[in-house]
Amino acid sequence: MTELSDELLVAYVDGQLARKQTQAVERVLEQDDVIAKRVVALKHAHSRLETAFEAILAGEEEDAASKPPAIPPGLYISWPTLAKSALASAGLVLAFILMLAGFGWPLQAPEFSLESSVPADPDYVGALPSTWQEDAARAHALFSRASVEVGLESQGNADLVAFQLAQAIGPNLVVPDLAPQGFRFMRAQLLRSGEATPLAQLLYLGKRGAPLALYAQAGEGTAAPAFKQYGSIGGVAWSQSGLAYLLAGEADEASLMKLANAIRTEKGASAKAPSAFSPLPPPPKPKPKPRS
Amino acid sequence: MQAEEFHDTIRPGLIAMLPRLQRFADLLVGARKEGTALLRRALLLMLAEEHRYQRGTALDRWAFAEIYRLWLAELRDHADPMRQARADGASFAQLFHNKRGRKVDEFTASFLRSLPPQQRLTLLLCYAERFDHIDAGRVLDVPPETIGARLVRISASLADRLSERECGTATATVEALYSERPA
Repeated sequence: MTELSDELLVAYVDGQLARKQTQAVERVLEQDDVIAKRVVALKHAHSRLETAFEAILAGEEEDAASKPPAIPPGLYISWPTLAKSALASAGLVLAFILMLAGFGWPLQAPEFSLESSVPADPDYVGALPSTWQEDAARAHALFSRASVEVGLESQGNADLVAFQLAQAIGPNLVVPDLAPQGFRFMRAQLLRSGEATPLAQLLYLGKRGAPLALYAQAGEGTAAPAFKQYGSIGGVAWSQSGLAYLLAGEADEASLMKLANAIRTEKGASAKAPSAFSPLPPPPKPKPKPRS
Repeated sequence: MQAEEFHDTIRPGLIAMLPRLQRFADLLVGARKEGTALLRRALLLMLAEEHRYQRGTALDRWAFAEIYRLWLAELRDHADPMRQARADGASFAQLFHNKRGRKVDEFTASFLRSLPPQQRLTLLLCYAERFDHIDAGRVLDVPPETIGARLVRISASLADRLSERECGTATATVEALYSERPA
């Protein structure tokens, strides 16, 4: 007697074998009554199972055709409720924009800014993993040209802005001058990444179009600029001098890479960079040795 | 065949799939009344935790898996899961009735009722939903090989019973619930 496994015979009954295998099984069936009976039983079983589930399927189709699918109680949201929710959401967004206009810069309310300056989080798109660069890119989508054009007097002093940012982020942070590239520095603010890590946002405006933003956060290591597209926003991320950067804007890869390289190699930026804030007085200068 | 229901928001998709979800829940618990209750709890959970649904995932596969996950969680939370009441034969057979009078013979219905819920769902996903083994495995949280092994075992078991019945013996082997291993 030939021994064939149930796995093989079920695959044969289900028509899942290759033609040669099927022919080989059929040759065995012609010669082995026991196997043939087993196959008949398996076919019978398979037929019964298929019939059973076809009956379920037919019953379900009739049910679906005879009555519209019921919506379970408690899951239905009426149009008035939906409209109220939409109005409330719009109000929250408007309030947030006004708050940005009023408290745009942490110099005026540094503690408050550190606690609450995270922009509203839009619906998470599954394609975006949650690193701080990508969080920042999503937050960037909340800003429009109009929101940046509302300038504050305190933002006019670039040295003061740079000093405050360096105090929070690190002494190597400078405010790049992108005027040669056609972008005017508008304002900066401190955001928050994760629980409490400060994240600087420097906003620039070109002659037209959406704002350009440079984000900076304390980081380690050195990494060359790499471009990544976040929806409609492009971003170039790199690390240098103990800081991690993301340059984000609605621009193509070539333009952003050019700007990123300009920022990285900006001459004289270090000279203009403010020193880190220290509560201690500067160390005394060494006294000249008396000449003997 | 691949699971292929894709939706941006889950609510309209779930409503469109209600009959299929009802069938899945019914067969899982073995009776219409309890199946409806399970489905209702699962729908509330799915809508409340809609954010867990990732766009691009087949909604039918996700919804089936959610119902199954809820059922399994409730089973685990049960004080004595081994003593949970099994649906009676009449309630179970009712699942196979329809208005045309088409129904499954009592022998097959009795066999299906004797199967563990996981094996019944394997049959449903593969024979009625026409899922491939990979998708069925994702719903039931088992490897595709286990799905194939279950189908073979179920067919072989039913064939054994049919042969025994023809031989006049009434005894049959009831498959163990937790002893499944891929072949």
